[in-house]
Amino acid sequence: MTGQTEDDGMNDLDALASEYVLGTLEPGQRRDVQNRLAVDADLRAAVDAWEDRLLALTELAEPQTPSPTLWGRIERSLNHQDRRASRPPPTAQSWWNLLPLWRGLAGAGLVASLLLGMLLLNRPATEAPTTYLVVLVAPQNQAPGWVIQANNPTQIQLIPLSVSQVPADKALQFWTKADGWQGPVSLGMVEPGHTLSVPLDKLPPLQPNQLFELTLENPNGSPTGKPTGPIQFIGRAVKVI
Amino acid sequence: MRDLYTQESARLLGVARRIARSDALAEDIVHDAFIKIWTRAAAYDPARGSARGWVFSVTRHLALNVMRDQGQTVRVSEQSEHALQDQASLETATHADTFEYRARSDRVFECLEQLEPARRNCILHAYVDGYTHSEIALKIGAPLGTVKAWIKRSLVALRECMG
Repeated sequence: MTGQTEDDGMNDLDALASEYVLGTLEPGQRRDVQNRLAVDADLRAAVDAWEDRLLALTELAEPQTPSPTLWGRIERSLNHQDRRASRPPPTAQSWWNLLPLWRGLAGAGLVASLLLGMLLLNRPATEAPTTYLVVLVAPQNQAPGWVIQANNPTQIQLIPLSVSQVPADKALQFWTKADGWQGPVSLGMVEPGHTLSVPLDKLPPLQPNQLFELTLENPNGSPTGKPTGPIQFIGRAVKVI
Repeated sequence: MRDLYTQESARLLGVARRIARSDALAEDIVHDAFIKIWTRAAAYDPARGSARGWVFSVTRHLALNVMRDQGQTVRVSEQSEHALQDQASLETATHADTFEYRARSDRVFECLEQLEPARRNCILHAYVDGYTHSEIALKIGAPLGTVKAWIKRSLVALRECMG
């Protein structure tokens, strides 16, 4: 091997990658390589090739059974990560991003906010045209809490904009009433923070100005079949152009 | 994730334990490796190699980072202890094999076979034990410069042998 230079067998990049994977780089060089890996595709490819070449050497380390508590620790940390990663869910996020805008609009007037909301919402949803849109706001401060999207006249989706606070012994019930109806009709119970799909096939098609509301009821729903508790959120359907 | 744990945790822990030289530290490393694997899984590119290989690489480099970040002073005294323990094998270390690498099928073992035992031991101490150049020098009783050169050349030889 006398007189053989590194370049005979490997270029500098490959030599660096090999010593990085082997673990014999000085700590400073090692950190440099790790920083470069994120941006240097050639180095990354060289390192990956060396990882692959030497992987079988891991067989030489005697396997060791982990203590029984290790998985529990990992699971707890993963759950923690998971919660952070999954909140808010992707579809809710785009709505979330609109929330400050909507709050401001709600102050200027529900009708104005509905029209602008419609325009904003309509752009990304050209493939699935929304025919009706309802923003449900809290009656006391006009803060938007839910949105109803109707992609066809027989099914609607109730989408949360935030997790509504509900007392432990109460539940939210979803109602609708169009002009000329005798009274509100229940569309079912609503879980705070969850999207609800409701088929409307038992009801007449959606109408402009149709009323939707969420009231606070007993966990099993209103005993009378009509809203009995206070209104938490309320809004009217607007036809999307 | 649970499947991966059931399947590989003992081997991953073995790899980490060998480098970290402490059961508690090794479990911390495997814990961190699983979190890293989980959070980066979406970014993992299968074109870069096998997922199993990636999992081992993540674990091994975490263990190496932990050891390299620790103060050198602690390591030297620990290492002296190691060296004393291994006094008996010191004389033979440069001639005999300290790793049971034979009877394994992977190409890397065939290529290791072609290296001189002392050089082979350098590579294996570095990869499996996570030893630094100076630790290897201490371990096998060879000058630091020699160890560095042996490792460089052995890597070149492995590269040629393995392609």
